[in-house]
Amino acid sequence: MSESNDKSTDLKARVQDLIDSMINPAVAGHGGYVELIDVQDNRVYLQMGGGCQGCGAADVTLKAGIERLLKEELPEIAEVLDTTDHAAGNNPYYTPGKM
Amino acid sequence: MRQMARLLLLLPTTTYRTEDFVDAAGKLGVELVCASERPSTLEDLAPDTLVTLEFRDPDAAATRVAEWTRRRPLDAVVGVDDLTATVAAAVASRLGLRTNPVAAVAAARNKYEMRQCLAAAGVPVPRFRRIALKEDPFTAARGVGFPCVLKPLALSASRGVIRANTIDQFIAAFRRIAAVLRRDDVVATGDAAEFLLAEQFVPGLEVALEGLLIGGTLHTLALFDKPDPLEGPFFEETIYVTPSRLPDTIQRRIVAAAAQACAALGLTEGPVHAELRVNDDGPWVIEVAARSIGGLCSRTLRFGTGMTLEEVILRHALGWPIDSLDRERRPAGVMMIPIPRAGRLRAVHGSDRAAAVEGIEEVAITAHLGQELVPLPEGWQYLGFIFARAETPDAVEKMLREAHAHLTFEIV
Repeated sequence: MSESNDKSTDLKARVQDLIDSMINPAVAGHGGYVELIDVQDNRVYLQMGGGCQGCGAADVTLKAGIERLLKEELPEIAEVLDTTDHAAGNNPYYTPGKM
Repeated sequence: MRQMARLLLLLPTTTYRTEDFVDAAGKLGVELVCASERPSTLEDLAPDTLVTLEFRDPDAAATRVAEWTRRRPLDAVVGVDDLTATVAAAVASRLGLRTNPVAAVAAARNKYEMRQCLAAAGVPVPRFRRIALKEDPFTAARGVGFPCVLKPLALSASRGVIRANTIDQFIAAFRRIAAVLRRDDVVATGDAAEFLLAEQFVPGLEVALEGLLIGGTLHTLALFDKPDPLEGPFFEETIYVTPSRLPDTIQRRIVAAAAQACAALGLTEGPVHAELRVNDDGPWVIEVAARSIGGLCSRTLRFGTGMTLEEVILRHALGWPIDSLDRERRPAGVMMIPIPRAGRLRAVHGSDRAAAVEGIEEVAITAHLGQELVPLPEGWQYLGFIFARAETPDAVEKMLREAHAHLTFEIV
């Protein structure tokens, strides 16, 4: 295995650890969860499920919450990207509307 | 010294506008702080970027943010809808950042105050009267002319807006609006919870003007036709198409009336969404809101070399240069897919066929399966949005209707 692959695997493991220990216990409060799909070129690919899938506040959770936390703990992370099919969510915690 | 600008976005947990504003902040490379009216599950872990604010109390929100910024200075504050526009103005004023006067935004938020300001300045508005919900509706109805339109003072998206042609219809509409204002999902405080507005029904075509105020000057970003007739009894918004097909002379009068309305209210900075009616007497200002267009509708708009409306708004709030406020020349439009009846959404059919219609860019179904659907006048949501671009406004409108015809919604 090459050195870059080693680094990527290591980073993926550390991201997974943060998701398991910090992020998922928190978002579970709204019935949500986050799955790590992959880490490539320091970009983290996630999927959101449960109450997070289709939630009106999902982008806030991702960018101002998850990305912020991951970058703080792992400064080498460049970006966190959402690969969720939010349109398929059938139990979002917040349903958007034109208030 | 800070390298990166820090921006506070005020995002209600249920707004459609979150994704587009968060994306715009990402493109601009600013440090994003998000405030909502309810705590994020991650707020305790990320207190530098997630904040809870009481949107119903702008002064309290301003005090909270002023405290918060002692260790984390902000460069701009942006609200994304009617409710948060007032809060953003209060917060930005407290911090000395670019914003509208708080009183001007508050006046635009309250339809009665707005009508008073505009009428006093000579802006053409329907005749209007504020009526207390504790009044006897039969007595109140005898003081208005017919046909008239009854509406809450501070709701958006035509929610609670009802036409009445007779005293009986007036009484029914009055009671229905009072019930809307008692709903748990309605944010109405102060006068807005205790009064409604009755105003003259103005026949004619309706248009929407999207603008940006810079130093008190209104720059028109887009003028939308609303080709579906809005005659009542409810006023469901469906299709918006830009550029407008109205003659240039009328378009100029619409822009002038909107600018006069902004000046009358004292609005000077930031986005403006105005709704006007046009008939033989000229343009009538129905609404002026100190916010951008609602729902996902801003996706019809691109400026300069592809900048989104949200990027324009954030750049303006940050005091950054904006290369161009010229909308791309290609006609564009959106259809807000109305909720035909109350019930639970069980299935959506025909999305692929709708998306395959020539000129259709996107079919976004925003209601989720299992969602309880509430139509107007009690509701405030849409089933989704259809977006189109074509060579002419007529073609855009035709494509939107064709795509919509492919969609069927099972509601049980």
